[in-house]
Amino acid sequence: MASSEERVVAVIMVGGPTKGTRFRPLSLNIPKPLFPLAGQPMVHHPISACKRIPNLAQIYLVGFYEEREFALYVSSISNELKVPVRYLREDKPHGSAGGLYNFRDLILEDNPVFIFCYYTSAKASPLTFVIVERISHIFLLNCDVCCSFPLPEMLEAHRRYGGMGTILVIKVSAESAYQFGELVADPVTNELLHYTEKPETFVSDRINCGVYIFRPDIFTAIGGVSTQRKDRANLRRMSSFDALQSATRSLPSDFVRLDQDILSPLAGKKQLYTYETMDFWEQIKTPGMALKCSALYLAQYRCTSSHLLASGDGTNSASIIGDVYIHPSAKVHSTAKNIVTSSSIDKANLLDGLGDEFVFQQSKFSDSKMGQSIGPNVSISANARVGPGVRLISCIILDDVEIKENAVVIHAIVGWKSSIGRWSRVQVSQECYTYPNMPILLITEILRILHKSFCNAIQWHIRLLHLSSEQAGGDHNAKLGITILGEAVNVEDEVVVVNSIVLPNKTLNMSVQEEIIL
Amino acid sequence: MKALILVGGFGTRLRPLTLSVPKPLVDFANKPMILHQIEALKAVGVTEVVLAINYQPEVMLNFLKEFETKLGIKITCSQETEPLGTAGPLALARDKLIDDSGEPFFVLNSDVISEYPFKEIIEFHKSHGGEASIMVTKVDEPSKYGVVVMEESTGQVEKFVEKPKIFVGNKINAGIYLLDPSVLDRIQLRPTSIEKEVFPKIAAEKKLYAMVLPGFWMDIGQPRDYITGLRLYLDSLRKKSSSKLAVGAHIVGNVLVDETSKIGEGCLIGPDVAIGPGCVVESGVRLSRCTIMRGVRVKKHACISSSIIGWHSTVGQWARVENMTILGEDVHVCDEIYSNGGVVLPHKEIKSSILKPEIVM
Repeated sequence: MASSEERVVAVIMVGGPTKGTRFRPLSLNIPKPLFPLAGQPMVHHPISACKRIPNLAQIYLVGFYEEREFALYVSSISNELKVPVRYLREDKPHGSAGGLYNFRDLILEDNPVFIFCYYTSAKASPLTFVIVERISHIFLLNCDVCCSFPLPEMLEAHRRYGGMGTILVIKVSAESAYQFGELVADPVTNELLHYTEKPETFVSDRINCGVYIFRPDIFTAIGGVSTQRKDRANLRRMSSFDALQSATRSLPSDFVRLDQDILSPLAGKKQLYTYETMDFWEQIKTPGMALKCSALYLAQYRCTSSHLLASGDGTNSASIIGDVYIHPSAKVHSTAKNIVTSSSIDKANLLDGLGDEFVFQQSKFSDSKMGQSIGPNVSISANARVGPGVRLISCIILDDVEIKENAVVIHAIVGWKSSIGRWSRVQVSQECYTYPNMPILLITEILRILHKSFCNAIQWHIRLLHLSSEQAGGDHNAKLGITILGEAVNVEDEVVVVNSIVLPNKTLNMSVQEEIIL
Repeated sequence: MKALILVGGFGTRLRPLTLSVPKPLVDFANKPMILHQIEALKAVGVTEVVLAINYQPEVMLNFLKEFETKLGIKITCSQETEPLGTAGPLALARDKLIDDSGEPFFVLNSDVISEYPFKEIIEFHKSHGGEASIMVTKVDEPSKYGVVVMEESTGQVEKFVEKPKIFVGNKINAGIYLLDPSVLDRIQLRPTSIEKEVFPKIAAEKKLYAMVLPGFWMDIGQPRDYITGLRLYLDSLRKKSSSKLAVGAHIVGNVLVDETSKIGEGCLIGPDVAIGPGCVVESGVRLSRCTIMRGVRVKKHACISSSIIGWHSTVGQWARVENMTILGEDVHVCDEIYSNGGVVLPHKEIKSSILKPEIVM
């Protein structure tokens, strides 16, 4: 039972209902961290990445959503991953460092008794298990980033560096860096030399990915900032320097930002180091980004969990193109009745003697089925129903959605319980979804041959996805780069919805373009 | 009896269809527009049709040659070297129209589709004893047209009022006339208008009579009216010979399907659809208020409404074509593409969606 090894905990910051407004209308129905990407809640991806950390004792989700909103998910994921996951609710936003600090006692006093009680309600005397283990490292992850979370590799580097903390960084284009925390690291030692949050001028093309490892003494640093604030507030005196810092001063003493308050001051003091990822990384602020990140995670499944990806060539099931996730409870009717025109078969037989060409044409025609074509980048959630002859490209179909015969959905998110009528069409204006005309499988195939390693090919495939969306110049932050149907939206037969956002519980009986429908 | 059909020029209003064939040869309800008229003329005993044309007469004559023998009717062209208006072509074709019989002859505007009640106009002409008979039709907005003011009981025309600002009547010239040969003596060989110069003079002499055209009438010279005209034509066909219309579980309303076309399973077709010869409509396709011309292929799950699909074009699977989209000859709309009011010139491939009505050169 007892382990003498050092233990690690992971803390995932999930935010709260007053945050993530850019994720509306989808966040009107569900906390953003629970919105599914590649068929799994957003927060599931960092959680399952944590599972790969050696000696992981516990995962905490920290946020200010109501406890009940996470209760169901937390209990099911704990059972599924066999790692205790617990939701810790902040009374109000404390900043990412403040939130962590708030729960420092709980996080550091991790002990097996507590865990066992929580999960097995151990009948044996809990005292037999009291072996207080020292927490050696704390992973801190932001929920709204999408990346491959190379956590064990990062931990190894962190141990090598011997600093207080290690930050995951990635190289981005100089034009896009300003939106993030830009940082400069020593090319040899990887020490963090300089950190600045969303600068006005270009500082560096290396940015903070929002994934960290800290030693427990990070709490001392956070505590220091908090105490400083209190002291300054008590002095009630404003020096000229303080006036400049008034933005900081106005913050309550228990609100501590990780970036400005901790990372910036500690840079260049041999305390913080960086670990650069070569994989993909994105921030999930908008629904448009959710769709893109869903594609990245689906592509990653090829390597990590290919059993989750659907397959089918259209003969007895839907024809699947590229990476597609279909929840086991979703009903994808492959063929209506496996229809072949009986009259045309008869004709084909009768006309057998008329020459091969004619018969070939005839049989080709008879062969036309009502099968769907799904993909690339499609996720279909629980209990969704996809009727015969439906075409889905680059979309997220949420729980209990019904898509009727011959409908088309391109680059869209279809909200829970929505219904899309026969021959209706929900799409964006431009085919800005991931290289639409490029046969994805062909590319993967070529890369596989080139690299002789399937996973290597997948990495390239992910990078291509990444590149193609950057080159497309698609403004993923623009609201209307995607069509979104909120919960229980009813699109009637033959209606076309282009580049629009429809709030929940609306019925569309005529076509709309470039509109937000309240 | 003889007839003159005023074909006129380039048919620019019906482009891009008229970039491939002269306007009278553009199919309407699976038949070139002009054949509707020639067949109706033949049915009332017309033996010779003169086409007044100033553009591509060879193409017309080559095409109509086979119908000359098939219908047993003589078809000739009278080519204008300069535009002669609506009356000038009558003077040009004078020799072809006049024979010893002294019978009246028909003059038709080639853009007009109706039930062609020629029998009725012949009887009307005989009954009133005037020099000329014209057909008039009731419209909702007479201010857009030339209104014919007539004496209701006898039909005697008093005057023509072009685009009246105040209401003078709601009957307009329907472009179908029956004229005595003597009318030709009133027309000089120069550009001149029959409505503005010839008819007012005859009316002034109380020798012009108008008859209200029974049934539907539509000038199908432009795409929107072409699509409306098809609806009216099919409604009329339903009343007169409904056996020509398609029946079946997948058919809604009035649908005309050429017997050489194939329609797949799970389609929903209609109302007001015409599918020409040699077309292939694959499974799961939705068609409404549209014309699918000869040799078109509509691939699986596509949806077409309020549009005209030109000869030998293809519409890709899961494509959506609507809102007055007009595809010229041999246009290919790729899979999953959306066309909202695209007007596409012949021999083009459409690879990206057309979201707002626009012309694709």
